[in-house]
Amino acid sequence: MRDVEMMTGNTAAAWAARLADVDYIPAYPITPQTEIIETLAKWINEGVMKAKLVQLESEHSMLTAAGTASLAGARVFTSTSSQGLLYGFEMLYNIAGWRAPMVLVNVSRAVAAPITLEPDHNDVLSARDSGFMQFHAERCQDVLDLVLMAYRVSEDRRVMLPSIVNMDGFYLSFTREPVGLLDKEEVAEFLPPYSHPQAFKARRHVVKGPAVIGGHLYTFFKHNIHESITRAAQVFDEAAEKFQSITGRKLEAVEGFLLDDAEYVLVITNSFTTTAKRAVVKLREKGVPAGLAKVVMLRPFPAKIIVEKLKNRKAVAVFDQNISQGFGGIIYSETAAALYHVKNRPETLLSVVGGLGGKFTTLEEFEYVFSLLANPDKVGAGKPLFLFRKDELRDVERAMKLAGVEGEM
Amino acid sequence: MNLKSIYPPHGIRIYWGPMLRIRFHGRGGQGVKTSSRILGRAAFLAGFLAQDSPIYGAERRGAPVVAFTRISDSVILERGFIFNPHIVVVMDESLIGDWLARPLEGLLRGGVALINTAQAGAPLEVSDSHVVVRLNITDEALKIIGRPVISAPAAASAAKITGLIRKKQVLEATVEELTELGLAEETVEKNLRLVSEVYDMTPHHSIKINEEPSRSLEVVDLRSDRVVFSDILEVGNAYLRKTGNWRVFTPVVDYGRCTGCMVCYVYCPDSAVKLDPDKKPVIDYENCKGCLICVLECPMRAITFVREAKAYA
Amino acid sequence: METRFKTLREFPLDEYLSPGATMCAGCGGMIVLRIFHKALGGNVVIVNAAGCLTLLQVYPYTPLKSSWMYTAFASAPAGAQGIRDALDILMEKGKLPQGEDLKVVVLTGDGAAYDIGLQSSSGAIERGLDFYYLVYDNEAYGNTGFQRSGATPFGSSTTTTPPTNLNPAGYSGMKKDLFEIWRSHNPPYLATIAPSHVVDMLRKIETASGFRGPKLFISLSPCPTGWGFDPSETIKLSRLAVECGVWPLKEAVYGKVRHTVVPKVLKPVEEYLRRQNRYAHLFTPTRQEEAINFIQEKVNEYWLKVSATEGHEVIKPINLAEKQTE
Ligand code: SF4
Ligand code: SF4
Ligand code: SF4
Repeated sequence: MRDVEMMTGNTAAAWAARLADVDYIPAYPITPQTEIIETLAKWINEGVMKAKLVQLESEHSMLTAAGTASLAGARVFTSTSSQGLLYGFEMLYNIAGWRAPMVLVNVSRAVAAPITLEPDHNDVLSARDSGFMQFHAERCQDVLDLVLMAYRVSEDRRVMLPSIVNMDGFYLSFTREPVGLLDKEEVAEFLPPYSHPQAFKARRHVVKGPAVIGGHLYTFFKHNIHESITRAAQVFDEAAEKFQSITGRKLEAVEGFLLDDAEYVLVITNSFTTTAKRAVVKLREKGVPAGLAKVVMLRPFPAKIIVEKLKNRKAVAVFDQNISQGFGGIIYSETAAALYHVKNRPETLLSVVGGLGGKFTTLEEFEYVFSLLANPDKVGAGKPLFLFRKDELRDVERAMKLAGVEGEM
Repeated sequence: MNLKSIYPPHGIRIYWGPMLRIRFHGRGGQGVKTSSRILGRAAFLAGFLAQDSPIYGAERRGAPVVAFTRISDSVILERGFIFNPHIVVVMDESLIGDWLARPLEGLLRGGVALINTAQAGAPLEVSDSHVVVRLNITDEALKIIGRPVISAPAAASAAKITGLIRKKQVLEATVEELTELGLAEETVEKNLRLVSEVYDMTPHHSIKINEEPSRSLEVVDLRSDRVVFSDILEVGNAYLRKTGNWRVFTPVVDYGRCTGCMVCYVYCPDSAVKLDPDKKPVIDYENCKGCLICVLECPMRAITFVREAKAYA
Repeated sequence: METRFKTLREFPLDEYLSPGATMCAGCGGMIVLRIFHKALGGNVVIVNAAGCLTLLQVYPYTPLKSSWMYTAFASAPAGAQGIRDALDILMEKGKLPQGEDLKVVVLTGDGAAYDIGLQSSSGAIERGLDFYYLVYDNEAYGNTGFQRSGATPFGSSTTTTPPTNLNPAGYSGMKKDLFEIWRSHNPPYLATIAPSHVVDMLRKIETASGFRGPKLFISLSPCPTGWGFDPSETIKLSRLAVECGVWPLKEAVYGKVRHTVVPKVLKPVEEYLRRQNRYAHLFTPTRQEEAINFIQEKVNEYWLKVSATEGHEVIKPINLAEKQTE
């Protein structure tokens, strides 16, 4: 194995689990995540990795087993996508409530119906209130790095909460690019072994998951989770510093790109960031002061950092690859809330919804978004702008006709 | 009372008048919720606005439960728990010493504590702070119905103490509520007799309430550096709950007859039978719930039972 | 197999449940859990799904002197899988001393076992998970106030199958045969138990402990609150259920079935039904002759089959036998 190797996002996720020396992998297949568990199953069966992989009968069971195994003291890795995440959804809240650190890789895929395979972020963002931390990857390298980071932050005694690392299906999961690995010593230096202070064992009994009757007890424990996940922002920074000292790679909760003197800024997450960066570069070449802020850490929401990065800008657009039906973009609303109390907030905050169901967002579309930022009157304030191309609409109409649906749109 | 005056067609004028708050305390299975509903409906039938509600929790048959009725001649701008009742109805006297139930807590000055008790004592006792009304509803129920079902008579008693509701309305409400619960006609009939009896038994007393309760508020900052799990580490601590006060009947071992066969020990669902060094059973009265399985199963008929009567402070 | 348990004299005295649980007085499920726990000993983690016994643990109280993990309604066996696997791999990797090992026990009601968690238990059994599963079967959703479950027997009234003029016999479906569903997975050990038959229960747990893999127990759990009987009669009803042949006590070792308690003479089911409010509509205001006979016939059929396959001699209840000769 070279220390840098061509690999898909899925392989990078599997490598991260292998490097973290995870003990337990409850699994269940779903496209586009399946390759991760196949890779791990192969390694375990070849004997190059010592862990137990068990295929459960559903994601609900898979997540249950993941949570309880963590409470028994095992370092747990698991992965899923889309419907799978939603099928196991109630367990996300449970796992967080149990204070069971673990890492779940979500390979984003748009949620049915209509059923589809390509990514958007409604799956992962639906989990944003659960108590899981969320780290979103732009590149295959990020997948590997963020999984290792996630273990360190999750297992920190000041946090003790699970994490989701998100990558886009297809655009990362099946896309190969060079990914740098860490050697054993480096991992050991970065990631101390996992232990749970109140794990299940014979000599000291513990009751986990008792009912609480009374809203004050419930509120108290929920607040404690909120406080811990908020504290994780600082733990993330400490971990990132350590990670950089070992690997030279810098990880940030919010990563700026040509941001310092930018007047027009795009806020974005995940793999479309790459194309958006290209748009920024092109605009810069034309002398337009464009820049980009990529949100890596979605939970805890890095409101303070976002404010720092966005204040004093002329205009900001938030690109949401998700749709909160009846409202608009989710990250837009969170960004707007973060900026509300800031005096010198940007005058224009534009909401852009694109990439649903993996719909390809072109370089030109990102350029178009920047052009709107210079002319914000063109779009109604607060209304989400749906990026949709004419050629795409023509294709839809053609399809409708073939499906026997009459009339024009 | 004209409902239109309370809900004027354009909903502009809201007049907030005095309100009676009644809190019922009992044990799961005693029909606390039904009690609050009979009282609520009776008040409604008497022309008042009423609101009744139970609190659901982990309560099982025997565990402390509460329910609430609010009665007013104007819009009721409250919901949920009643902290400062004018009347508390204690359907089970053993609750008075129960630190989880604390039935008398918050009772307003001049308010009435209506206590169902088998203890002797003055039926009406006026102290500086409040009035205690003692009634033996359970024995009446055992007499008329044959089982300690006291939801309807407890409501009847409370209704009379409000001074606002007549017997006729309680009877009507009882029929409606118990029929809705699917009780047989014959059982409803017996309940009506019981209601009537207990309504008459309840002493007259008119509540004078002047003060509008206000509670002091101290808000705290929850911030801390600790991660707190909702785990329980002190295993086996449930005995501290002292479920002994769930009992209506108390099992008593006759050691003269007991052969030490262990049957009672084996079948007690709540580990409330301990064995002494000679393997003779010792009942843990602090926690025995009084299911009487031991009484029925003892092959020597060495366990009998007596009606529970506990002192309260 | 040689057994430690011949009479109540051998009844284990170590106690793993303190008094003070919030279960109803006379709860049959509590009796089973208490005895079951005694037979297993203290090094146990109980993995639970939503049900009455979930409320054994209401913060900050627990009657248990062992460990407990509440999971979710549908996935207690998966929760057991996680703990078992974690303990195994940690011991294998040398991260946990062998002495810290625990027995993993799933405890659920019938709602979880027969309905919402069936998929999860099927998976765990099929994977050969080394665990105990104890179902306390009170034949309805007791924790939510007695609604019909997959375990509700024909004729029972529940709050979602109320007997009315349109539907005088109560629930018209049949109780799911969980024993046979599980047996089709070929687990090493599977048994039915009843709180009245303690020595039978202790022996079965003892036998089960000799196997690695799924060890499954379905226990009748008379429920005074839901079934409508006086709490003192919990054991009496359990005994009647066995004596009337309604609740057969049996075991299956790698699928081979043997009845462990065979009533010589079947008492009429009516004796069992009559004592419970959930069947009151079968007797008043009008007797539902057809429904009662149907229940009796199903029981007779069952025991005829058992007699044929296992060679027991079971005598049918007199009244029905008479009717048939008429
Ligand atoms: S069941 Fe009766 S005889 Fe046996 S130990 Fe208990 S009290 Fe004594
Ligand atoms: S009555 Fe007997 S069996 Fe019931 S809780 Fe008390 S001691 Fe136990
Ligand atoms: S409802 Fe039935 S099963 Fe549930 S705690 Fe009460 S008696 Fe036990």
